[in-house]
Amino acid sequence: MHKLFKLVPLIISAVLLSACSGFGFGGKEVTVGGKDFTEQYLLSEMTGFLLQEEGFKVNQMNNLGSSVVRSALENGQVDMMWEYTGTALMTYMGQEPIPDPQQAFQKVKDLDSENGIHWMNMSPVNNTFVLVMQSEQAEELGIKTLSDLAAYVNEHPGELTMAAGVEFANRADALPGVEKTYGFEFGTEQIKQMDLGLTQRSLNDGLVDVTGASATDASIKRYNFTVLEDDKQFFPPYYAAVSINQEVHEEYPEIEEITARLAEKLNDDIMRELNYQVDVEGQSVSVVAHDWLVENGLLADK
Amino acid sequence: MNKQKLIGNIVKVSLYALVAAFFIWAISNHYFDYIFSEKETFLNLLKQHIQLVLVSSLLAILIAVPAGILITRPKFRKAEWLVSNFANLGQTIPSLAVLALMISILGIGFQTAVFALFIYSILPIFRNTVAGIDSIDKNMIDAAKGMGMKPLQILFRIELPNAAYSILAGIRTAVVLNIGTAALAYVIGAGGLGVWIFTGISLFDNGFLISGAIPVTLLAILADYLLRKLEYVIVPKGARRLE
Repeated sequence: MHKLFKLVPLIISAVLLSACSGFGFGGKEVTVGGKDFTEQYLLSEMTGFLLQEEGFKVNQMNNLGSSVVRSALENGQVDMMWEYTGTALMTYMGQEPIPDPQQAFQKVKDLDSENGIHWMNMSPVNNTFVLVMQSEQAEELGIKTLSDLAAYVNEHPGELTMAAGVEFANRADALPGVEKTYGFEFGTEQIKQMDLGLTQRSLNDGLVDVTGASATDASIKRYNFTVLEDDKQFFPPYYAAVSINQEVHEEYPEIEEITARLAEKLNDDIMRELNYQVDVEGQSVSVVAHDWLVENGLLADK
Repeated sequence: MNKQKLIGNIVKVSLYALVAAFFIWAISNHYFDYIFSEKETFLNLLKQHIQLVLVSSLLAILIAVPAGILITRPKFRKAEWLVSNFANLGQTIPSLAVLALMISILGIGFQTAVFALFIYSILPIFRNTVAGIDSIDKNMIDAAKGMGMKPLQILFRIELPNAAYSILAGIRTAVVLNIGTAALAYVIGAGGLGVWIFTGISLFDNGFLISGAIPVTLLAILADYLLRKLEYVIVPKGARRLE
């Protein structure tokens, strides 16, 4: 009986609390989506921390493919996410690349307003694609630029192999576009598709000769890879910005200001450093995200 | 009886109708187009998939059947629990985890995937071999001894023919499972039709998904069918189960 009495307040409060969120009394709730690589885990986690600080209940849907999380944003399963201007422009909207970051952002913003998605807070983080090789091998074969690579592949067809995640291997703004622009083809047998997390490792282990990476990838520094220069400027800028469901944006206008704090502080070097802490030093995403926010005064230390 | 037959037929017909409807839906949406438009890639992936399954299954058969035979000899009976537990262990670790664990030892690619699939296929074959040999009537073995047969003769003339059905059932189970599991080989860069399945998931493209998944399904059905035919050839008439 005594035990039961102790539980009564707990039960009452539980019922009340669930009723609150159920009827929307002060229940500010938002779902943050994220893609399937470290930088996205970090951005999603940081956004989650900041929103929680401001009294939001945050649900996270991470580790999804680009197109999957984008569809979720379009149909309202995800309320907001960090998206890259280049990806939206070329993969979702099928537009030609735009080299100027601001213009690209504006174009994406204009086009997406018809889809009920609002863009805001473009950060200086440019996570464009690059192709990398082992430094020794690149030097040996005399490959410094993508034009060199194209020439080499055309002269020695079937010799070089490439590791790629499925997105990089199939997206028009990634490998197929590079091959088209520079006029060469690896060939189906030469492209080894695998989990994105293994591509750099397989290059480092010498299983392949080339792999794709993103410019803010920690592995470039970790393995001392050579980044092949994009001499024909095929890859457009991929600046990270917040894309949010328009209705959610109208409902919670404060999200713009909250995520702006984050967007202003981030840049390529910081992102590279944070990716490094997770990928190479093996720290957990939550810890890295939390510590950085605290260090930069965005989050009170608890 | 008539009622049962009727229900059976209704179920059968509706299943066929479902399958047909699925194919009509998939074809009308052009979900199989990649198989024809990217024929070269498709054939390459199919080849890789079949190689993965064949090599790992053959290895598993070569190891598991003799192991099952050895373990059922009176001399080694005591070791049965040990070998059984090893085989069980191989089956209980999630296949993705086996792949991940093996990467650090064997690196990335074909041989790692083959090894993981091999580990995965051992248990059903081994178990069924042991069960098949154990299920033979002791009186039959006694009669064979009475006729003056040597242990090896007993094995090849009595035990194996009588256990053949069970052994083959194990192999069938292993191969069909293997064909499905081999779709995960993509993760570690060993190719196979899993590449298209995962491409479909990642790019949200039903065309890739179905062009990858349906051939895997058909491959499994085909393998099952062929192994049943093989059963007819190998299992002696007297030892066949009535189905």
